[in-house]
Amino acid sequence: MALESAETKIVPGALDPAAIDEPEDEVFEKRRIGVLAWIGIGWLGLVVLIAILAPLLPIKSPTLGDYVHPQAGMFTPGHILGSDDSGRDVLSRVIWGARASLLISLGSIAFGTLIGGLLGLIAGFKGGVTDTVLSAFFNIFLAFPQLVLALTLVSVLAPVKNSGGASSGEWAHRILVVILAVGIVSVPLLGRITRASAISWSQREFVMAARAQGATNRRVMFREVLPNVMPAMLSIALLGVAIVLVLEGALAVFGVSIQEPDPSWGNMIYSQLSNLNSAPTVWIVPSVLIFVSVLALNYLGDVVRARFDVRESAL
Amino acid sequence: MITAACGSSTKKGSNTNQGPTTTLGLKNANDTGPGVYGGSLTYGIEADTSGGFCLYKAQLAIGGIQVARAIYDTLTMPGADGKIHPYLAQSVTGTANNTIWTIKLRPGIVFHDGSPLTAQVVKDNLDHYRKDNPLFTFVFADVTAIDVVNTLTVKVTTKVPWSAFPWFLWSSSRLGIMAEAQMQSPDCNTKLIGTGPFEYVSWKFGDKFVAKRNPHYWYKDPATHQQLPFLNQITFVPQEDSAKRTSSLQAGDFQIIHTDDPLEIVKIRKDVAAGTLKDTESDKFTEIGYVMLNVTKAPFNHLSARQAVAYSVDRNVYNRLRNAGILTNATGPFAPGVDGNLADTGLPSVDPAKAKAAAAQYKQETGKDLTFTLDHTADPSTTQDAVLVQQMVQANAGIKVQLNSVPDQSTLINIAIGRGFDATLWRNNPGADDDTQYVWWHCNNSPSLGTDPNGDAACDNLVNFGGFNDPIINTDLDKARSSASPTERTALYEAINREFAKELWLLWAQYTLWTVDYKPNVHGILGPPLPDGAAPFPGLPTGHPVDTLWCDGGKC
Amino acid sequence: MQVIVRRVIQLMVVLVVVTFFTSILTALLPGDPVTTIAPFTATAQDRTNIRNQLNLNENIVVRYGKWLGHFVTGDMGREYAGTGVRGQSISERIKDSLPRSLILMLYVQILTLLFAIPLGVYTAYRAGSRVDDLSNGFAFLLLSVPVYVSATLMLLFLSVQHHWLPTEGWVSFGSSPIEHFKHLAMPVLAITIGQVAVYARLLRSDMVATLQEDYILMAKSKGISDQRVLWRHALRPSSLTLLTVAGLNVGQLIGGALIVEVIFHLNGLGFAIGDAINRRQYIALQDYIAVIAIVYVLVNFAVDALYRVLDPRIRGARIG
Repeated sequence: MALESAETKIVPGALDPAAIDEPEDEVFEKRRIGVLAWIGIGWLGLVVLIAILAPLLPIKSPTLGDYVHPQAGMFTPGHILGSDDSGRDVLSRVIWGARASLLISLGSIAFGTLIGGLLGLIAGFKGGVTDTVLSAFFNIFLAFPQLVLALTLVSVLAPVKNSGGASSGEWAHRILVVILAVGIVSVPLLGRITRASAISWSQREFVMAARAQGATNRRVMFREVLPNVMPAMLSIALLGVAIVLVLEGALAVFGVSIQEPDPSWGNMIYSQLSNLNSAPTVWIVPSVLIFVSVLALNYLGDVVRARFDVRESAL
Repeated sequence: MITAACGSSTKKGSNTNQGPTTTLGLKNANDTGPGVYGGSLTYGIEADTSGGFCLYKAQLAIGGIQVARAIYDTLTMPGADGKIHPYLAQSVTGTANNTIWTIKLRPGIVFHDGSPLTAQVVKDNLDHYRKDNPLFTFVFADVTAIDVVNTLTVKVTTKVPWSAFPWFLWSSSRLGIMAEAQMQSPDCNTKLIGTGPFEYVSWKFGDKFVAKRNPHYWYKDPATHQQLPFLNQITFVPQEDSAKRTSSLQAGDFQIIHTDDPLEIVKIRKDVAAGTLKDTESDKFTEIGYVMLNVTKAPFNHLSARQAVAYSVDRNVYNRLRNAGILTNATGPFAPGVDGNLADTGLPSVDPAKAKAAAAQYKQETGKDLTFTLDHTADPSTTQDAVLVQQMVQANAGIKVQLNSVPDQSTLINIAIGRGFDATLWRNNPGADDDTQYVWWHCNNSPSLGTDPNGDAACDNLVNFGGFNDPIINTDLDKARSSASPTERTALYEAINREFAKELWLLWAQYTLWTVDYKPNVHGILGPPLPDGAAPFPGLPTGHPVDTLWCDGGKC
Repeated sequence: MQVIVRRVIQLMVVLVVVTFFTSILTALLPGDPVTTIAPFTATAQDRTNIRNQLNLNENIVVRYGKWLGHFVTGDMGREYAGTGVRGQSISERIKDSLPRSLILMLYVQILTLLFAIPLGVYTAYRAGSRVDDLSNGFAFLLLSVPVYVSATLMLLFLSVQHHWLPTEGWVSFGSSPIEHFKHLAMPVLAITIGQVAVYARLLRSDMVATLQEDYILMAKSKGISDQRVLWRHALRPSSLTLLTVAGLNVGQLIGGALIVEVIFHLNGLGFAIGDAINRRQYIALQDYIAVIAIVYVLVNFAVDALYRVLDPRIRGARIG
């Protein structure tokens, strides 16, 4: 069931109308994306920075509300982005929620890329029985409905506690569990993509030359093939982060994402779904943040692709 | 036909610490004119019944009870006067100081499969309820014998004088009478055969339950002498998300729903004012929303812990923020109009200083910080309810609360049964004769199941989910059961009410407001007068009859 | 013939591995399934009976073996509902819910491709232009909206405010084609919205590379119009990745449509799976996953066959 693309020869400017006008289409592409990419990188950097600095920022508590100003609108004094049904400050929750959402999306994709990438690299490079077994592993696990698998894994890894009260480290434990669950689920797809890219690069002359020169497999794999495979992996990883950012909300729907009262962008959106009108900033602000972040990740991905001339599609 | 009952009445409580005690009473749409035959309704209910409808094994919540009321009849039914009346039975009379109860059946009633309603069938039903269902085993523990006297008469003998026995033949509409063919079938939970206004057609769990008109229904509307029911078909569709249920009603996919979610009620009231919907609201004989505590283990086996939580929850703020302010704070498990109701039971109100002191005392008693887990169903609305409770407890008493969201109602019920919780948001104890609450609160203390950490005997009643074993409540429940004196019983139930407020086994929140909401062309919500002419029961936590539902022009 | 034998073996391997993994996972789920399954009216004897009936006392391999034995003979068993009472037949449930999920998935795939293919082709054709950027951005806007948000907003606007479409329920094509589509319009759209960006981008990426190949240049130099070259010559070989992903997505769509099935009350296989997990109906869960695995494998066989049709060069390349 796997497919890898045949070798292609690059002929610049064949049917690209832009190329007809601009002979140096690669430079053209890079220049055009430049501004947007920098904005994207800037945005992501800002979000990450603020999320990291959350405990130091002069913002209200994200989990304790005042009952004096529930459901406040934007620009209410004391609640610049409004407050939710219990009077918890939206700005603060969105900042602390960024920690959760970013950790989950970055962590799980990092995990998946690491494990899936490694397995895919080995499969694509080694070929033969190794490849058959690993490929079969990837394909078989793609038969699982991902959401169901993620939900089940979270339930298995983080047993529900009906009693016993709060203990410290709950939040961190939950984040770890979700990262692991989503990461595991993402391994097969990331593995397949890496494998396809690895196959393609492994058949190049310079790799064969390196082998002929007597380099060990491991050396060739990591020295010659991996650096060329990484751009494709990176580009897909960025897409993956965007997808998981949105997917975290789906987990919140089933109550397996970050537990109340701790915020995440996903569970904030979900919490207001029954009453969209009553405290609209609670779901609109995280939605906008997710959207902008997804766009930023997309532009970042474009930069990577253009820079490294990635053929990311081979699966 | 049914007429609108009283409008809102306002009674200000004497203790302003408890917050407003206005009661709504019954607010019903004006329904005049005889019913029109024809039409088919889709009823949006709160939840589906995963266990099925083998009634003596079933776990019915209001969604299931409403469905059961379409297919089955109970031997008795309460009326607007708060007394129990015969319904499927022609009469239920107590003799020998209420230790012998004679149930006389009406002649000529047949089940949906054509088999006749006889004393033997009724006896078999009651025996099953007694033996095959721990809930009803406890309920009917005081029944010693059930005998067939003749084809239409059953004799029930009880161990103790039991004045409220006929109420248990109703049991919140859970005690429907099934046909032999259903009871003996291995498909008992899906092969529904009753005497009710509608016959079972099909049921796909999670999808819909379809029932069609029973042309041989035994009941005629006593006021208009019309053969019931009016509708050709009724379909029940479960929808656990209350906001979605309202949306579907507004969009016309449902023509009738029920809901107790105050935020939705407020939305619906706007539509009622605009004339696009109608509703029937009632907090008469209503049930109570409360936080149920598991007192069989730490932390709530300590009074100090229970007090800490009771003093830290500000019910007025909770009412304002989560109930749109439309509900009434509860002082105990007996709603206004129900025996034993008191305007002031001594129930603690919010007091952060006392809350912190109680938490400190708990620490002193046990050496541990007070912390607990609060369970709740996963829908967004209930989740925010739990969040608010958690915040208040933390802010006012410094107690850290862990929230645990449970996928659906059935799972929560199972957790409660297994006593695998610390605290959970709960709703129960619909108003009726107070003896019906016996099964939820009484402990027999024989045989003993071992001791709980306090050294008292653990409660052997499985259905007392919180597990409290209170000697005063036990004794007073027994006395009130056997007493035939209304004044004595009232005094006993008032004492029970005060004891709850003192020991804080259950933390009362607000009296529930149940509503049935429907399109303007739907009528006949409360049901017909009872066979003996009594006005129909205005309590809604146990659903309502469906036999008098009708639509304008016979088209829904 | 040999191909068919190989396919059948592949199918069986996938089936066994996937379902065995499911049984391991469900064995790891916390809590005692008996407590959840047994109605609270169960006595101690009832609970023992449940354990025996569900083979909970046996080790996992034996339990799995028994399940597999039943499954391959077509006996999918019944849900557990209590002693002396028969639970709902699982195969009945599958018969009802599987077609619904398949239909939903089919409509989603069709609609997604209907949007994604033109979008992908056009943005590849105009790669690097402003239109490309804008379309890309718009597609990602749609991707960033979670399914339940788009579903809720659509419901509010199209159903509640304007009564144009029904809020929920499933109507089969047979009973009323118009109602069938009206009931499915929003669910299908809600899922499609999130997928278009991914599909379009995959196609675009392949197309951009294909458009740089020799034979395209040759076709262009023969004077064939851009449109013809795009649609007749470039599209087919570029669609392999898209096809692969569409095939891989099958399992996801069936199970992942869970949220949409709950919101729109479609009672498909996704909902059945979620329900089985909640109510710890493990046998039902195994059966559902097995069915999905079978469908997934069959669809991907079809995808493989389509590869050869779409790009003859593949016939010689490495296929796993």
